Amino acid sequence: MVQKVSPEGEFTTCIVSRVSDANWQIELALIEANASYKTCQIDLFNKPEWYASKVNPIGKVPAVTYGGPDVDPEDPSPLSTKITESRVILEFLADLYPDSGLLPKDPVQRAKVRWFIDATNKHIEDPFYAFIRGRGSYEHVLKGIEFIQGLLEDGTDFAVGDHYTIADAAISPYLARLKIVTENDAGKFPVGMGYKLGEELKGPKFAKFTKYVERMVERPSWKQTNNEEAVIAFFKKIFSERVQ
Amino acid sequence: MPEQLTLYLHKLSPYSQKIELALVEANAPYKAYQVDVWNKPEWFASIVNTIGKIPAVTYGGPDVDPEDPSPLSAKIAESNVILEFVADLYPDSGLLPKDPIQRANVRFFVNATVKHVEEVFYAFFLGEAPYENVLKGIEFIQGLLEEGRDFAVGDHYTIADACITPHLARLKIVTETDLGKYPVGMGYRLGEELKGPKFVKFMKYLERMLERPSLKEKHDEESLITLFKTKLGDERAQ
Repeated sequence: MVQKVSPEGEFTTCIVSRVSDANWQIELALIEANASYKTCQIDLFNKPEWYASKVNPIGKVPAVTYGGPDVDPEDPSPLSTKITESRVILEFLADLYPDSGLLPKDPVQRAKVRWFIDATNKHIEDPFYAFIRGRGSYEHVLKGIEFIQGLLEDGTDFAVGDHYTIADAAISPYLARLKIVTENDAGKFPVGMGYKLGEELKGPKFAKFTKYVERMVERPSWKQTNNEEAVIAFFKKIFSERVQ
Repeated sequence: MPEQLTLYLHKLSPYSQKIELALVEANAPYKAYQVDVWNKPEWFASIVNTIGKIPAVTYGGPDVDPEDPSPLSAKIAESNVILEFVADLYPDSGLLPKDPIQRANVRFFVNATVKHVEEVFYAFFLGEAPYENVLKGIEFIQGLLEEGRDFAVGDHYTIADACITPHLARLKIVTETDLGKYPVGMGYRLGEELKGPKFVKFMKYLERMLERPSLKEKHDEESLITLFKTKLGDERAQ
């Protein structure tokens, strides 16, 4: 990992697990902001002992350490600040890099970004995970996508305004998971429902959404951090029992 | 000169109250328009908030009658999004600190309030969850409060305090009146537990928040008690 000193001399260490989507949001935001940071991978199913005692007593990822001496990510210093909760971390990064565009400067536009993230949690994350856990219908997923599509403005490449914001970072992991589900039919839903969802999304009704997804997928930040094989393997492992 | 800000609210809703507290604490001028949640006017959904939720804010555009919102104003909904918006409009009000780490602490507290107070307390209130859950949630919040500090985060009233205070006011009503859909007596029981040494820090914080002029100005305890009595019906678990 290349180490760069940021202008303030602070170090941001991002602790991620590459298969967890909340974590991915943060890496995308860091890359899009050209932030200097180090990463440390944590195996969700086998967390190292030092993680709970030195970084996050609740043991959840993602977490960021900020400031303090320059240490090995596996040996966090008690002098650094620890920040958890992906939503909080995304806002923190936007605060650290106010000129990165991660959040616009205008209050109304900022509100639109936050509203978009809220909408993503309600209308994409919840229905999608219900669906892949075999507890929700794919129609619900489509309804949610339709809602989000309604928020996308015409003539702009991003979720809100003219620049990549934490709204784009927030939704991207779900777009990647959606791709995996529709291309591999991986999940606890009845066999074939993943493909069916994919077919529906190819229709003209979802053209705006699909174009937005394609733009997100093409970004270097996505390509640099998307680890599709690991996620597919992970999904297959946890969703092994299927309804027919 | 700030642009016009109109808050569409229900005076007895804690989500609306959060916003009023923040606006009052920031000395921000605004118009308030009471919406009857059980009988929303048609123009509300079509112009202000297509989802029909309150609180909602219109910002900017010409200065119009709240019952005739202009298509030129920005429309913003979701109580926590609006709180951040007010903090952005008034960056020197202290509603959010300037330091990124302190800002993260405020947001963490807001998140924690949603997870450990809002979701939990109203589930209990509606008779859907035990009061022990409420105590667990309060314990989590208490763990975030710093010794010797008057506010949730730092030295100034922030959106963290605005976010939790309306729920603290309703908690007080529940423990003093036992009103709610939970089994009879559980409200009093919750109150008894909160009087114990384990929750001293939390209760001191609650008392400080309820003493603030902003809360006293915006909180209508009598109407709230009447609302609880009339809307909850008579069916209660024993």
